[in-house]
Amino acid sequence: MALAIELIDITKRFPGVLANDRVNLSVEAGEIHAICGENGAGKSTLMKILYGMQPPDEGKMLVNGKEVNFASPSEAIDAGIGMVHQHFMLADNLSVLENVILGSEPVMSGGRIDFNEAHRHLAEVADSYGLDVEADDLVESLEVGERQRVEIIKVLYRGGEILILDEPTAVLVPQEVEELFRNLRELKARGSTIIFIDHKLLEVLEIADSITVLRQGRTVATVKAEDVTAADLAELMVGSELPSPETTENTVTDTVALEVTGLTVLDEDKRPSVSNVSLRVRKGEIVGIAGVEGNGQGELIDAIVGTADISTGSISLLGEDITNWEVRARREAGIGLVPQDRHHEGLLLSAPLWENAALGHQTQVPFSKRGWIDRAGSKAQTERIVEEFGVRTPNVEVASYALSGGNQQKLIIGREMTANPVVLIAAHPTRGIDVGAQAAVWQSIRDARAEGLATMLISADLDELIGLSDTILVMFHGEIVAELDPASITPRDLGSYMTGAARSEDN
Amino acid sequence: MKALEALNRMPAWARYMIYALIGILVLTVVESFESGDVSRLTADTASRAMLKWSVPILLAGLGGLYSERAGVVNIGLEGMMILGTWFGAWGALEWGPTAGIIIGMAGGAIGGLIHAIATVGFGVDHIISGVAINIMAPGATTFLSSEVFGNRTQSPNVPGVGQFTMPVLAGGDIFGLETPDILGSIADQEIFYLSDIANFSRGLMSEMSLFTVMALALVPITAWAVWRTRFGLRLRIAGEAPYAGESLGVDIIKRKYQGVIISGALAGLAGASISMELADFYQEGQTQGRGFIGLAALIFGNWKPQGILAAALLFGYPFGVSLRDLDGSSTHALLLVVALGLAAVAVWAWTRNAKSDVILAGSFSLGMFVWYLLSDTAPDWLPNTMPYVIVLLVLVFAAQRLRMPAADGLVYRKGGS
Repeated sequence: MALAIELIDITKRFPGVLANDRVNLSVEAGEIHAICGENGAGKSTLMKILYGMQPPDEGKMLVNGKEVNFASPSEAIDAGIGMVHQHFMLADNLSVLENVILGSEPVMSGGRIDFNEAHRHLAEVADSYGLDVEADDLVESLEVGERQRVEIIKVLYRGGEILILDEPTAVLVPQEVEELFRNLRELKARGSTIIFIDHKLLEVLEIADSITVLRQGRTVATVKAEDVTAADLAELMVGSELPSPETTENTVTDTVALEVTGLTVLDEDKRPSVSNVSLRVRKGEIVGIAGVEGNGQGELIDAIVGTADISTGSISLLGEDITNWEVRARREAGIGLVPQDRHHEGLLLSAPLWENAALGHQTQVPFSKRGWIDRAGSKAQTERIVEEFGVRTPNVEVASYALSGGNQQKLIIGREMTANPVVLIAAHPTRGIDVGAQAAVWQSIRDARAEGLATMLISADLDELIGLSDTILVMFHGEIVAELDPASITPRDLGSYMTGAARSEDN
Repeated sequence: MKALEALNRMPAWARYMIYALIGILVLTVVESFESGDVSRLTADTASRAMLKWSVPILLAGLGGLYSERAGVVNIGLEGMMILGTWFGAWGALEWGPTAGIIIGMAGGAIGGLIHAIATVGFGVDHIISGVAINIMAPGATTFLSSEVFGNRTQSPNVPGVGQFTMPVLAGGDIFGLETPDILGSIADQEIFYLSDIANFSRGLMSEMSLFTVMALALVPITAWAVWRTRFGLRLRIAGEAPYAGESLGVDIIKRKYQGVIISGALAGLAGASISMELADFYQEGQTQGRGFIGLAALIFGNWKPQGILAAALLFGYPFGVSLRDLDGSSTHALLLVVALGLAAVAVWAWTRNAKSDVILAGSFSLGMFVWYLLSDTAPDWLPNTMPYVIVLLVLVFAAQRLRMPAADGLVYRKGGS
């Protein structure tokens, strides 16, 4: 078959980093080609080169057999390449139609947009690929899955034949992933070529025809999906066996560390975002909270940490009622938090590591002494965290944005763990980090559990929830709708509880 | 409540018409409480002055729209307006009124270009760059004045621009032929409310300067250009989601430059309208902070042209009334209007069950009412203060309804997503 894309010896250097080192990639026309690799393996850089966002330093690119040199994304678009970014590139306050036609607007005289023609073309594209959207809806009113469809339509509207999808399943629940895969198969059947970046290996095996694995900026191998297993791929990616999130022996004790009773939190419109939630986390226990994002998990965390006002209910820590305590008092009493968005809530990105390590403990030894920040003590403590939790960094003076996502997360986990918390609230602790860092984070949580830490784990990664948790609670529309035993549940079943399709009998 | 829903379903122009009619009704009723013998609140002189004083605010507000829709906060409008006052006057003195308008716009556009180079080109914080322009502009015009006019603070009188009176309705000429003055004759009948509407409208349609006509025409032109054209869509993406635009090959930098330069040109036009129309000469400090009022109109108007027009008229009205108000009694009557307006806000908040808003608006309303009862005249600083007070009230009571461009004020770097 003809090659839609051929990259030959692509090399790209950034100051101090060799992001791509003579990478080769051959994608046949009409196939779904997955690109796998750990974070930092060079996948995103390679795709940015292919989409014209960055020029390569060396190497050749061929699209449909013709050599190309893209100076900007618009040239890539003209060559029939379209990209669906991981963080959607959509304007919330514009309509679906406006987002789609942007940059390729049909115009009449005087630069006037021909809205009739735009509507017609959009409907034609949407119908022929079975992608369902309302052209006049504002994007802000759309669900995540719908936004992704808009992104795909953006490419097809421009006559794009080659789609690049950057970690498209990261933000989707299993049912939405199935919908996406249906759409992708439909696109393939109509002759589109799809490049699919992902590091969830089972998904890759399900959807892809061939797979190229990158490691440390180099092409490791290109294989046919039917010839390999997940374990083979993992070995290619990290050079070792795939780590699993499983816990071993039961360490749950009888001491209740965190107890939440009848908790209700109201949103701005006085509607309950958390509704009458009761739960207990015992020492040595990991309680997993499953749920589609936006079903009250964030507000539940805020209420426990003390950053949200609660309407009714109570929270107690080791038997003591902390419902009316200030945030700092709760932190000092032993509530640790790994926030869901490490960039916005977990770190000061432009501050050095040692300042970040002091966050939340800035009033305590060794970070402070007699009411002043103890710089030497903070740095020494940060160095201990860096060593103990394997944070890869040249020193503790670098700004935290210079670290990769996985190392940032290890720093946050280290910060929380070294304060010896009674309860750890871990929200999406492994989101967007690579397999190696993931294993390290899981190991930290497992070790702390063995030492008697009570953990509340909120995650969208269902394998992680099932593997690590002793009990799983499912949140739907602010309520806890099911209490499940992870030993006897599959990700698929969990998915149907999460979307409200099933409810637990005994709850 | 049903009436409110019906109101929301109407086209925007009809809704604004109804607001205006309600407003005139309130003014008519308030007038009848006042001791003064002439109906000054709804007089054609009041509405004519309102329109005249609204023009610089409207133009500055529309200028702000082009810049902020492209994602650049333009607090430098005031400075660009100052450049407009000087360059407008200079151009008009040297080459006549038309050149004055063009050169005034060019002067403001230079201010816009500087702001664009600083904020878009070099990524300077938008507020800092804007404040710098507000400091530099008066310095530059003082220097230019002493060099060109030989007087640091003032220019000689400048020739004004033409005027226009609507034929048939307000008695304007058609090619020198006199036409009837329908609204004027209705106004003379002194029928309650109806004559007030006629008189008020007549003021809006007679003796309009060329600046007024241009400013009013720019409202629909802006709505069309920013929401119906390719230029407008790309301008808005620069203010809403620049990196999304960039990923589709839109040249965001170019759009931002265009937006900010147009913004400066309109602020310059606003300045020229002050020196050439309102004053007949250039004078130092002539803008009196109207660039900031324009910015307030932009916020009040929710970053939309028709909203900015409504805000500009609302803010211009106290000026219009106070201009002919030698004893301060008409401005005093405005206190009662404001009290009634706040009472309406309280009722509106009550229908939404927002208790704290009801209490806040209710007590403000009561305070205004007490002030009205205990005083005979209003202080002369009141008209100048009112726009800011109104904007503060809008921000307090309707902040959720305001929707600024999502990436407004954020520094954009090419390829920085």
